[in-house]
Amino acid sequence: MLRFAHAAMATVFEIRCVHADTAYARQAAEEAFRLVDRLEQEQSRFLANSDVSRINHLSVGQATRVSPSTMECLEIARRMHDRTRGAFDISVGSGLDGLDLVPEEFTVRARAAGVRLDLGGIAKGYAVDRVAELLEEWDISRALIHGGWSSVLALDPPPDGDGWPLTLSAPEPGEQRVLARISARRRAMSASGTRRRDHIRDPRTGRTVRNRAVWVAVGGGEDGHPTSRATFAETLSTAFMVLPPEDVADLCRQWPDVEAWIVQERALVHLAALPHGGGWR
Amino acid sequence: MAGEDEKADADPPGQREDESVEKKFDRRDVLRGLSTLPALGLFGYAWSRERGYQQARRAAASAGNAAAAAGQAELNVALLGVGAQGEVLLDAMLRMPGLRFRAVCDIWKEYNQRRAVNLLRKYKFEVNGYEDHREMLDKEQDLDAVVIATPDFWHAQHTVDCLRAGKHVYCEKEMSNTLEGARSMVLAARETGKLLQIGHQRRSHPRYRHCHEKLLGEARLLGRIVTVNGQWNRAVSPDLGWPERYAIPSDRLRQYGFKSMAQFRNWRWYKGLGGGPIVDLGSHQIDIFNWFLGANPSHVTASGGTDYHDPATHEWYDTVMAIYEYETKEGPARAFYQTQTTNGSQGYFENFMGDQGTLVISESEANNPGLLYRDPNAPGWDEWIRKGYVSAPGLQERKPEDEAVVLDVRESVSPDQHRVPVVLRDPYHQPHLQNFFDSIRGTAKLHCPAEVGYETAVTVLKVNEAIEAKRRLSFRAEEFRV
Repeated sequence: MLRFAHAAMATVFEIRCVHADTAYARQAAEEAFRLVDRLEQEQSRFLANSDVSRINHLSVGQATRVSPSTMECLEIARRMHDRTRGAFDISVGSGLDGLDLVPEEFTVRARAAGVRLDLGGIAKGYAVDRVAELLEEWDISRALIHGGWSSVLALDPPPDGDGWPLTLSAPEPGEQRVLARISARRRAMSASGTRRRDHIRDPRTGRTVRNRAVWVAVGGGEDGHPTSRATFAETLSTAFMVLPPEDVADLCRQWPDVEAWIVQERALVHLAALPHGGGWR
Repeated sequence: MAGEDEKADADPPGQREDESVEKKFDRRDVLRGLSTLPALGLFGYAWSRERGYQQARRAAASAGNAAAAAGQAELNVALLGVGAQGEVLLDAMLRMPGLRFRAVCDIWKEYNQRRAVNLLRKYKFEVNGYEDHREMLDKEQDLDAVVIATPDFWHAQHTVDCLRAGKHVYCEKEMSNTLEGARSMVLAARETGKLLQIGHQRRSHPRYRHCHEKLLGEARLLGRIVTVNGQWNRAVSPDLGWPERYAIPSDRLRQYGFKSMAQFRNWRWYKGLGGGPIVDLGSHQIDIFNWFLGANPSHVTASGGTDYHDPATHEWYDTVMAIYEYETKEGPARAFYQTQTTNGSQGYFENFMGDQGTLVISESEANNPGLLYRDPNAPGWDEWIRKGYVSAPGLQERKPEDEAVVLDVRESVSPDQHRVPVVLRDPYHQPHLQNFFDSIRGTAKLHCPAEVGYETAVTVLKVNEAIEAKRRLSFRAEEFRV
């Protein structure tokens, strides 16, 4: 098992893979990490000359051109904003509708003042998906990619197993209680929680949510396409942090491939779509 | 994460800049400012000047857009070399109005060329792909400009051929791996009357231009600069690889001067092809040494070697320290430059040290984007703060209101630290490319014409010579001229 790590997006990205040629795999990982750095340069709100910073500084009526990857991310984010009824919101309540996206021209135009984007709830997943595409070009198929342990994509499993063995652990401090064990292959997972921050704010209402942790597993993207599945998983886990459980269950029914685990006040709920509209297990 | 209202633990400076004016003023903020204006007034004033400076830049940029929209002829552009650096340039150019991409030339058809062509087609440009630059020049008759980002040892021939074919050229640094090559480029630009911009992109960076014109030129904030220090350190990384299925056939590699795919990917390390990190990285910053000191060096001493990597695949030095001596208008100055590729400590920056102040600057918006320190005994900078040239300082001495009082006793204050109040909002190479295209349109003058690029090439290539010679080498003034 080979492991390559790289610091980016205020966390650590890692590629674990099985390949006969270590030097070749290391070079592939380096290319992948350069790609992650490029995406961070485009999407970080902390860098003054990123696409996102330029958008955040637009005056009303002004427009700016962005990269194809930024535009793709914004389009997914806007769709997920609609499909989660505003629970996933890269504008963090500042009004995503205030921006016009013109995808064919890779242009973003500000219709309202004060829109502030933060791609923190999608960028790691998006980067993980792009890394998977790159590894595919390099013919590395047995790999597990993660961005900061919270955005995970399992590709083909190691030759000696059916999947990549993963665990979900209880978020209580100092405790390592395993809530679930998963053998993942061709599946993306994303985790969100309040462990590192004391609360999270619902972008729709401003209401704060405390003591919640969410895990989401998906087999494909929101459009069923496998090239955006880590992106999809991350947007869902972000949205599920603020949605009431019945809304989460409702969304899980829309996407039969989505599975979710939610810990709220030390109680675990596991949701997966059932053929006949069930949800709670 | 979206939905969270907690900020990251350590906001980089670019972030803090905006937030500091939006948040409510607390007691410490009220103490900000200088003696000569009401405390808050000067702070607010300096900030409004900063904002004004940024807005003027944006207005100028959108005026450029408007000119393009108002029917200014689009420029037909080709890219020659679309590897990692060509991709960076293309990325910046795709954000600029008034360019029509027509062709992409790269010998790595299977990967670089295909990716660039596909990207441009996404933007609805009808582009043709070429392997051979002569074929491109034959078939693409209506090109106005070619942007060259091929390996250094190809620069001279590519540039001269493009200039002679009547195209304006933007060529990446290093201008050439040999001075003969660089000289032939200067001469070809002169003969043809076509523009040749060399890719020392800091020459167009608004923060560097602000420092050169305003802080060092008009305000002379540093006093006499006696010492300069600069570095670019990078963490160890493996040699560049390639996806196996996209390897270039060996006969094509040989045709273009490469012994193997590994050498093609890592040409920067090979003698006769590149110049090693001192040329790849050092050249950008040593160019700034010359520019800011207003002089070319008189001598260079250098030590370097392949201390870490395999010398068989890393013919150029992975670790270099160079010392330049200058005779500036104000007297002698000495500049130290370090580059090594095994540990990225402190990244990259240039540090100009004068007898009245210090400037630490880099191209990056993330690290060392521009800090100024005033020597406590140097004249105050109130005037320059008021003009918006430097940011207001942090906590500062406040003169007592009663003139008979000598000192206002209060909590301790920090020494002066000021930001260079210029933020780049565009990709790093965009201003320099914009300057090139504006020059073609006749609305600007090149910031780094062939002659300037040549002076920097002379300055930088001598380091490798000095390492080999193991002694201090001198420059003759006429060496810098063609």
